[in-house]
Amino acid sequence: MSTGTAMPNRERFLAICRNERPGDFAIIDWFHRCWPETIERWIGEGAPEDIRDQDARNRYFGFEHLNALQEIISEHNRADLKDSSFSAPPIVPAFEVKVISEDERHRVETTPGGQTVEVSKEFPGRMPKYLDHPVKDRASWNEYKKRLDPDTPERWPSDWDAFVEKTNSQDAPTMLLIEGFFGSLREWTGMERLLYMFYDDPGLVEDMMEQVLYLALGVVRRATRDLRIDCVRFWEDMAFKSGPLISPESVESLMLPRYKQVIDLLRSNGTDVIHIDSDGNVNELIPLWLETGINFPWPLEVAAHMDVVALRKKYGRDIILSGGIDKRILTRGKDAIRSEVMSKVPFLVETGAYFPCLDHAVPPDISLEDFCYYLNLVREIGGRAALPE
Amino acid sequence: MADYLSTLSEAVQKGDQHLAAETVSEALGAGVAPETILHQALIPSIQALGEHFKNGTVYLPQILVSTRAMRRGVDLLRPHLGEADTSKRGTVVIGTAEGDMHDIGKNLVKIMLEANGFKVLDMGEDVSADAFAAAAQEANADIVAVSALLTTTMVRIPDIMNALDRVGLGERVKVMIGGAPTTRDFADEVGAVGFADDCASAVDETVRLMELGLKEAAR
Repeated sequence: MSTGTAMPNRERFLAICRNERPGDFAIIDWFHRCWPETIERWIGEGAPEDIRDQDARNRYFGFEHLNALQEIISEHNRADLKDSSFSAPPIVPAFEVKVISEDERHRVETTPGGQTVEVSKEFPGRMPKYLDHPVKDRASWNEYKKRLDPDTPERWPSDWDAFVEKTNSQDAPTMLLIEGFFGSLREWTGMERLLYMFYDDPGLVEDMMEQVLYLALGVVRRATRDLRIDCVRFWEDMAFKSGPLISPESVESLMLPRYKQVIDLLRSNGTDVIHIDSDGNVNELIPLWLETGINFPWPLEVAAHMDVVALRKKYGRDIILSGGIDKRILTRGKDAIRSEVMSKVPFLVETGAYFPCLDHAVPPDISLEDFCYYLNLVREIGGRAALPE
Repeated sequence: MADYLSTLSEAVQKGDQHLAAETVSEALGAGVAPETILHQALIPSIQALGEHFKNGTVYLPQILVSTRAMRRGVDLLRPHLGEADTSKRGTVVIGTAEGDMHDIGKNLVKIMLEANGFKVLDMGEDVSADAFAAAAQEANADIVAVSALLTTTMVRIPDIMNALDRVGLGERVKVMIGGAPTTRDFADEVGAVGFADDCASAVDETVRLMELGLKEAAR
């Protein structure tokens, strides 16, 4: 990795986040996650086969590593299920996976998260159709919540001391993953059922959020006791194209006080870079998030009317930005890619606290050549050498 | 009568399905015409809610519980309504594009279209272009509504227009698209006349496409 600076990467990451290094940026691997189909396409187009491995991919594309602590089962990105077709909320134990039925095109199966899904056999990596969810009512919730205890030993790496030593000695920024107060509930109940619950059984919604809080506080307490945590990510996915899935008033009354408890604990341990993953149009949510200390939204989808440049102009130094480069443009040729990148990246790099990346994971309709062209444009803006041919 | 209608409007706006059902029953018992209940209370309430949703003053949970309350009322009214009031405003075949299993947006559009008086034939997910065309033909559909979550599945939308052409429906049946990566520009690019950003806009767009179809038929 060539950063052009002697500053250790962890310090440099935090300095970029705190807008102490305008003009500098990191091209982070976590923000350039790819669909499995994308990787296979690129190998077919001449990339080395070892790019299936993240370290090799980082070397090939010049990504800098963000060490997301997936070994701790605290969010749906969890190392213990990395070979599964499905992620699962941070339940311990996970559910057994069973195939229920299949035909020529589709397969119905259960997931480690306890859902029943129908998947396309042709595109197994794509989002499935959800047929059933494990939490339907109070009785099923009371059973399910037993899997959400922060103190379950299997939630933590078995050789904790070795894990701590390895993590703290790495020169890569460290990100603790935490489940959000909406996204996790939706995974447990299904979206429609959850949205009805906000009216039909708000007490149950609050009870589920309390469990998320209990889990988050337990995870943060133990993790921050021994680990140096540079950044924390909440996973929410709580907006669609036109706006949030629930009202800002509901966010304010139900979610903000709980975020605040987690963030207060994090801040008391020196962690103030609070990242949030929510697709869709989050314009109404950003001021609420900033108010509570969540200062780093991603992916800022252009198709959902998110404008990363406008966000910088509106929120100035209060916000750390990543995403916002329209992934759809990367299929439209070099002129379009240049126009998209040059209309955003130079301004954002100059104003600081920015990590260039597309507005979500890299889909398989983007060719290797066009992806490298995009990366090289970004590198050029930062005065870095082009990727090797 | 006015009391019944205002209570019913309030019940729908608040999403109180029990109050909606109770009020419809009471109003019918008191001799209020079922057509009046439908056209002066239920439909205007849900239309108003759609406007509030587009303006950002109402959010999805309220849309869901309000449409549920409306459905309760309509179910009680149906046996009392004449042919003219139970006929639909138009027929929409809806589904997700081939390769796309994500159904949430499609389901919300379906709920809103049905609440607004459209007949909706739900083809489900991962629907081939030929299946859309066959369903449109069989249902004598006015509109085919296609949802795509992914950049890799939205490119299948032109196949649907081609399939409609093949069965001779390309001119008459309008295609409306929606979903995370889609835009009006993309709709224009692929020749889909309809586009909606969300479930409330989808109702407006369906109405617009129905009017467009009527105008074209009159020429």
